[in-house]
Amino acid sequence: MARFVTVAKADSIQPGQMIKVEIDNLPVAVANVGGAFHAFDDTCTHEDCSLAEGELARTVVTCPCHFAEFDIRTGAVLAPPATVPLKVYPVRVQGNDLQVEF
Amino acid sequence: MPTIAIVGASLTGASAAATLREEGFDGRVVLLGAEPQLPYDRPPLSKAYLRGGMPFEKTLLRQPEFYRERDIETRLGTRVVSVDPGKRTLELQGGERLEFDSVLIATGGRNRRFPIPGLDLPGVYDLRTVADADRIRDAVARGGRAVVVGMGFIGAEVAASIRQCGLEVTAIEPFKTPLYRALGEEIGRVVEGLHRDHGVELVLGDAVSAFEGNGRVERVVTRSGRRVECELAVFGLGIEPATELVAGTSVRTDNGIVVDEYCRTNVPGIFAAGDVANHYHPVCARQMRVEHWQNGVKQGAAAARSMLGRAQPYDEVHWFWSDQYDANIQYAGFHAAWDAVVVRGSLPTRKFMAFYMAEGRVESVVAINQGRDLRRALAIIKARVAVDPARLEDPNVDLRTLAPPETPP
Repeated sequence: MARFVTVAKADSIQPGQMIKVEIDNLPVAVANVGGAFHAFDDTCTHEDCSLAEGELARTVVTCPCHFAEFDIRTGAVLAPPATVPLKVYPVRVQGNDLQVEF
Repeated sequence: MPTIAIVGASLTGASAAATLREEGFDGRVVLLGAEPQLPYDRPPLSKAYLRGGMPFEKTLLRQPEFYRERDIETRLGTRVVSVDPGKRTLELQGGERLEFDSVLIATGGRNRRFPIPGLDLPGVYDLRTVADADRIRDAVARGGRAVVVGMGFIGAEVAASIRQCGLEVTAIEPFKTPLYRALGEEIGRVVEGLHRDHGVELVLGDAVSAFEGNGRVERVVTRSGRRVECELAVFGLGIEPATELVAGTSVRTDNGIVVDEYCRTNVPGIFAAGDVANHYHPVCARQMRVEHWQNGVKQGAAAARSMLGRAQPYDEVHWFWSDQYDANIQYAGFHAAWDAVVVRGSLPTRKFMAFYMAEGRVESVVAINQGRDLRRALAIIKARVAVDPARLEDPNVDLRTLAPPETPP
């Protein structure tokens, strides 16, 4: 059953930054885009690479290994070599707790 | 109804076909391929697919319905024999003729073969297609020792993959280091260390003089007299552009099919892109031919737009990757020669970038496990301005601050 999991303090991620957390042993990336938070699978759908180690430009994340691009709001593929969309998760802030619905 | 034919159901061809429809072309699009499969991705063939961890379906660039929904006619298993630029027809294998209004030639390349005795022995393989990869996989499954001949990018990836499958691997390379021609000695030594650390036996500065065996390869003999017993051998000695389609026509060839920055050949209505295209690059101000995945995608799309009269100069900074073991190697730019290599990061730990400099400018960059920074360096390459080496090598300097801001046209 989906539940909200506290993954970090909201003020620990600066705008334009991404962090990598683990929920149930699954790596999840959380990004701060101008104060709005987005969570998505940290592992690129193309190959086994950490998206949090890639580049974030507004709501587009670029994988560091092969430059696949995703829209982190929807998970849509914006550039190959990825062909499979990225899974994204709802996020909420409770006080200073950043929570991901998982 | 106008017809656009695309010769080569490849990464480049598929990208061009998709772009034609995205751009609203509503004429006939015919995508012709010599191989029987729908366009598939070749990078996995030397890596995940070769190791057996990836089904073929996962390499398909697009699912069958993609072509159906966009009314892209696919003619697979169909070799195109010749093009008649005057009549604007293609002659297909079997004699059929196909009329076109414009054609994109995306025939790629074929593996170079040298007259080495025994090269045709069973058990000696090369890698270009999924059928080639299947043959190597079957041989790897039987185990034993493999010899890899040529440590360019394909050879190095194949050596890594076979080693990861648990076989003993000996690699023979005529230059001083793996990837020597592409990356030079300093970085080549790093890649040498990568393979030695994973248990590959490297024979450098030596070349194969013969493949020997009784009905099947049993050993590889080198010029220095070394004999390496083996159950299989794979050679990767580069490719040559597949230009025979235009042989004897007025289409100009010179290390590929010569095109301008709009993917146009010297003959109206005939375009070329991908590995086969010796293209003019506006940033580097010279002709060049590259064999990169990204160029296949982007130049295929650029050619499609050009065919529709919406051409923009194709000026992508060339870029490619190679995955070997746990090393993600990336290269961006294009260097013919360099006068200095500036390193940012640590060579021994294999986490660094190396900038190939000429007259103070960054011509190209290679990175191992530093993909984010490499991406940030693309603007520096494109800007073609002198950069302070001390700032390049300082890991605290954000590379994005070193390129002048792009001025809007």
